[in-house]
Amino acid sequence: MEDDAPLAIPLFPTSPQPHSTADPHESVPGQVSETPASGDGAQGSGDGQAEPVGITMITGYLGAGKTTLVNYILNERHGRRIAVILNEFGDELGIEKAMVNDGAGGALVEEWVELGNGCVCCSVKHSFVQALEQLLERREKFDHILLETTGLANPGPVAAVLWVDDQLESPVHLDSIVTVVDARNLKQQLADSRENGAVNEAYLQIAFADVVLLNKVDLVTGGTTEVEDLEAQIHNINGLVKIVRSERCQVDLKDVFERRAYRAQPSADLETLLQLDERDVHDRMVGTISFSASETTDLAKVNDWLGELLWEGGMDSEIYRMKGIFNIHGSDNMYMLQAVRDLYEIVPTRSWKPDEKRRTQIVFIGKDLKKNTLLESFKKCVAV
Amino acid sequence: MNGDGDHELGHVACVRCSKPARLQCPKCLELKLPRVNASFCSQECFKESWSSHKLVHTSLSHKETGELNGVQDPHAAALAQGWMYCLRKGQSRSPQLPTFDWTGPLRAYPISPRRLVPDQIPRPDWASTGRPHQEISSEWQNSVEIKSPAQIAKLRETCRVGREILDLAARAIKPGVTTDEIDRIVHEATIAAGGYPSPLNYHFFPKSCCTSVNEIICHGIPDARPLEDGDIVNVDVTVYLNGCHGDLNETFFVGKVDKASENLVRSTYECLEKAIALVKPGVRYREVGEVISRHASLNGLSVVKSYCGHGIGELFHCAPNIPHYARNKAVGVMKAGQVFTIEPMINAGIWKDRMWPDGWTAVTADGKRSAQFEHTLLVTETGVEVLTARLPTSPDVFPWLTR
Repeated sequence: MEDDAPLAIPLFPTSPQPHSTADPHESVPGQVSETPASGDGAQGSGDGQAEPVGITMITGYLGAGKTTLVNYILNERHGRRIAVILNEFGDELGIEKAMVNDGAGGALVEEWVELGNGCVCCSVKHSFVQALEQLLERREKFDHILLETTGLANPGPVAAVLWVDDQLESPVHLDSIVTVVDARNLKQQLADSRENGAVNEAYLQIAFADVVLLNKVDLVTGGTTEVEDLEAQIHNINGLVKIVRSERCQVDLKDVFERRAYRAQPSADLETLLQLDERDVHDRMVGTISFSASETTDLAKVNDWLGELLWEGGMDSEIYRMKGIFNIHGSDNMYMLQAVRDLYEIVPTRSWKPDEKRRTQIVFIGKDLKKNTLLESFKKCVAV
Repeated sequence: MNGDGDHELGHVACVRCSKPARLQCPKCLELKLPRVNASFCSQECFKESWSSHKLVHTSLSHKETGELNGVQDPHAAALAQGWMYCLRKGQSRSPQLPTFDWTGPLRAYPISPRRLVPDQIPRPDWASTGRPHQEISSEWQNSVEIKSPAQIAKLRETCRVGREILDLAARAIKPGVTTDEIDRIVHEATIAAGGYPSPLNYHFFPKSCCTSVNEIICHGIPDARPLEDGDIVNVDVTVYLNGCHGDLNETFFVGKVDKASENLVRSTYECLEKAIALVKPGVRYREVGEVISRHASLNGLSVVKSYCGHGIGELFHCAPNIPHYARNKAVGVMKAGQVFTIEPMINAGIWKDRMWPDGWTAVTADGKRSAQFEHTLLVTETGVEVLTARLPTSPDVFPWLTR
């Protein structure tokens, strides 16, 4: 019938046609809303004007208190202009809804934001990052962005997308991942098994976290002992994570903002790293191991080793996150390693202090990690 | 039935999907607007296009012959024939030049109505939908495919055809020729070879190749602007044939160009040559950017960072992503059987890019010139095979190759 139809006039020439059959890849609209907050806001974003705006990704199970945390931050008088992005698709990255708190606590103003649905492939930045950049361009400057993800999201892929090369001079950068955990239900959630041996999201969310907000500690029946027990359990999964206890997500915002967990600069993080004990996992699927070595390493060999470890797989284990410092042959600078899934960078940072013992210290967070295998393979890095 | 309609059937493409159009917008008819922008293959396409299409009515209702606010549009003749300015990544058109703080002397020109691809030519999914669904959901976005000998044979053939088409475009370049004319040549040659021009309707890109003049870095849309003596113009061709894509581009001189432009184009050519020389199994993808970046800085030039090389094959764009700048975090090590492009974009001034209101055209932020060269490459057991390499028949357009 379509074949022999002559030129016909469509039925509804002037009424707007509904934009039905939307598929997830069609331009994803989002909403922006806005609340004011107090203060001059100028102080918020740290040192320079060119300093990129940090993104804090907030993960956690439904009911853990993510929304309470976001509302707390939106309503708190902290003098920062904060945009909140709700990503309700989980892995499907789209700006769903954004809210802005400019520091004084006020009504939310909603606005639609269209995700710049770019051709992802030949552009180095994921369209989600481009959309965030557009959001920054269109509005007054923010001091910080909160990205709230769905309950069952694996933070890994999103973290990898947001960890943009410094070279791109993006006005946004991934600051840290904060996971909100319900202290009452954590044990239960960790015990939940997934089909065909998949890792449950409670583990993943803790494994990728830079900060765990251990919420509802006041509601734990076993008191302090049980809370300490929970903390030990969290640290077994992620030996680097900073744990902050809270009730109804009342936290010092310093613990949430400007952690700089993805910046290869001397930081509090690096000092923590230097102090971390050797550790191993025995009975856990997801856990942290770390070791140190006193031999100097060869940078090219280290790169080869990391490539093998992170890109070639084949060790029956999976690395989610790595951090490390390296004593590199021929350099007086401490090198710092950061890895998220298959992305990594190793860059020189501060120089070794005269009284400091030069060494290499590496932390792995992942699944089915075997310390002996890793130690064995690391020997390839030693400079001769 | 309608004689006029029958006559036009073979010539007018659906604004949305490029199939032959069979319906037209009644509002446009009433306003006597050009039919090329008002034709649709089906009620579905018309419906889907309505939200962007209807803008044509309001913006055109106060102009008939290119006169806007009493000022004669310099492209009145083109506009009267249904040529329009591209907007929203190709999803809408406007008879008015959008306002923009243009970074250099170049301006957007109206683009011609969409060109048709005959029904019998196999095409990728985006030809009708504008979205490369298959590509987006492919496993090859996350890991790099090792091509089979059969796939490689097909790619080799497709890439050679792509090369021949680019060579045809190269021969047509001279002052006075419009980039739309280049597009027509590329479009028709692709079809004649039995191929589909991959860029056409890819994420709604409106044309069959990219033509990037002077300060345009990449993704320039072929339009009504005649090339001028002293311009440089990059033509980026991708052909879909044998079920796979072959992608290449070169930057050409229009007439006599100044020394600085010649140096820019030549250095860019060398950047690609040096990157190719590096390719062999075991090399890390992040090395590519180091080599390109080094050669560009040696020549006082900068490397565009926002666009990168990409895997290619049955998909137009897939893993790996290959940045052209130094200190990148590209993933992976090259392995025999992998196929990808390297396509450095090198700027005379700063590296930063801006986007024109058409949503595609990337220009230098400082308005200075930019050049690019691209090949599709196969990693072999011992090194590299340039699948889109120049042929003995390729025209002599680069002085440094004739010596």
